[in-house]
Amino acid sequence: MFRSNNIVARIFERQIRTPPPGTSVHCARRFYENLVPSYTIYDVECPDHLFRKFTDDGQYLICFSRNHQELIVYRPTWLSFSCTEEDCDVHDLPPKAKKFDSFFTQLYCVSLASSNELICKDFFLYMESNRFGLFATSTAQIHDAPAVGGAIQGVPSIEKITFHLLRLEDGVVLDEKVFNDDFVNLAHNMGVFLYDDLLAIVSLRYQTVHILQIRDSGNLVDVRAIGAFCREDDELFLNSNAPSMGIRDKSKQHQLTENHVENGLQQSRLSPENAFVSGIKQRLLSFIFRGIWNEETNHTLRVQYLKKKFYFHFQDYIDLIIWKVQFLDRHHLLIKFGSVDGAVSRTTDHHPAFFAVYNMETTDIVAFYQNNADELYLLFEHFCDHFHTTSKNSLYMNFISSHSNNIHTREQLRSLRNKATSSSQFVKKMLASLPINSQALSPSPYFDQSLYRFDEKLISAADRHRQSTDHPIKFILRRPPQTLRFKIKPGPEGGNIDNRTKKISSFLFHPFLPFALSIQQTLFLQPSAVNVHFRR
Amino acid sequence: MGSVLGDWPSYDPHNFSQLRPSDPSTPSKMTPTTYQPTHNRTLPPPDQVITTETKNILLRHIYQRAEEKLRPKRAAPEHLLPEHGCKQLRASVQDTPC
Repeated sequence: MFRSNNIVARIFERQIRTPPPGTSVHCARRFYENLVPSYTIYDVECPDHLFRKFTDDGQYLICFSRNHQELIVYRPTWLSFSCTEEDCDVHDLPPKAKKFDSFFTQLYCVSLASSNELICKDFFLYMESNRFGLFATSTAQIHDAPAVGGAIQGVPSIEKITFHLLRLEDGVVLDEKVFNDDFVNLAHNMGVFLYDDLLAIVSLRYQTVHILQIRDSGNLVDVRAIGAFCREDDELFLNSNAPSMGIRDKSKQHQLTENHVENGLQQSRLSPENAFVSGIKQRLLSFIFRGIWNEETNHTLRVQYLKKKFYFHFQDYIDLIIWKVQFLDRHHLLIKFGSVDGAVSRTTDHHPAFFAVYNMETTDIVAFYQNNADELYLLFEHFCDHFHTTSKNSLYMNFISSHSNNIHTREQLRSLRNKATSSSQFVKKMLASLPINSQALSPSPYFDQSLYRFDEKLISAADRHRQSTDHPIKFILRRPPQTLRFKIKPGPEGGNIDNRTKKISSFLFHPFLPFALSIQQTLFLQPSAVNVHFRR
Repeated sequence: MGSVLGDWPSYDPHNFSQLRPSDPSTPSKMTPTTYQPTHNRTLPPPDQVITTETKNILLRHIYQRAEEKLRPKRAAPEHLLPEHGCKQLRASVQDTPC
């Protein structure tokens, strides 16, 4: 839309031209080609905290103390100073520019964890509408915990996990939710998904998805717990009727099924109270059964298919556990199932995994896919944005580059697909990112692929630590004149003296201001080198 | 009464100064041409309410596929391989020897 790259010319053009329909945000974002964080202040004197991230509305910077017990929240301000000379641009910045306090004001410091607990430094969820933040503290992990009280074997146990809901304006703890002797995967928000005001917390140990609602008053309210029971009154119904012999007649049970269920159960590790499959597992098995049943009208063929596809793998299906969950909308969950071994291991490539779409209101499984299903991959490719479900309230979150909304990302995906040797492996690799982690991507426009091109291995919208290099990371314009616009260089100005130790860097970009922090760390106990990149 | 657009800001104050609106006291003789339908086949039903579909498009596709699968299939197998080539609920665990 703009005919010139000059910012003043663009502002005049903006006065008289309207952008094409539906592109007003994209046109407004083009001003980020002109306003860039090109100036770097190296090695700012900053307190020795762990910097977590900027909240998505840019109001707060969340940090944790080194001992993982305190939360410190800063408000980002901007460096201000006065200069009485005629031409101020020539001057260097005043010495106070090298101080962290010039850019941030501390709002408060709250102690979240008591003596034996630690704050999980990779966990933080922000509810933008009410400015609430969700943090987690936990005690130490106990491996090889005994499987008691409905827990499954093989998953470690944490004595106490507490989720704290804070009002970020003043640091008041509004509510807490405690899980005892449980295990929730807290790293990088993996086990918890926030969708508007609904939270889904996956308890791996007890195989339950807890759905909670965050109310405006700040209370965490239990909505439902999906796992052993699907509806709120299931437990009452089952306890009041004849125990353990009844098989739920929701699915069309064949005579063979009955025998196989009983045989399967004798080998499984279900406790005597749950002598039949109930809850979400029952929904899943009956869905698979009915799907195979409906494939054929011929009765003998049906039974043959059932034997081959269902009963042959019955024990594997029974042994499936919930790995991860995300919301697709307020009523639908995308659940990833897998084996017990894959639940806590880091590499999940070798373990078979399945995806199921579950409707919480009707308690029906709507779809079931294996993790190399082309069908699910096509849905992911075309509608990726709908998997990255975000709150309706935040406008700019809909513009994070993904292969459904950005042509450059789409081209990258196409080239990856063409280069892939095995289509099934490629599909598995792409679907391994589902269900996605909540709030894992930065909304900064500098990561918008239609504005800038940068090396994805060195920096990207995902807030993960990366290998640090001495070379600055270049941001090059996508549009003509396709020049280098600014560089981000982590680490000290002259480069690192000691090249032998491995360094990792992380980057925190402000959501809308031309401001970024780059943090370079070497060993755990050494203080990190923090650089400030901003528009001078 | 000056021009309708005479008071609005403009780069050149003489722009739009020649424009004269129609006098409100004498109605204009021109009426715009109107078209009347000759039939009522395209009338909407009287109780029609148009609302936005609450399910997003991803879920709509998922439900559509689910409905196609639940419909009992024909006995003839030539339609069992749809365009995507892989639509069966078969688990490939059987390929790896346990």
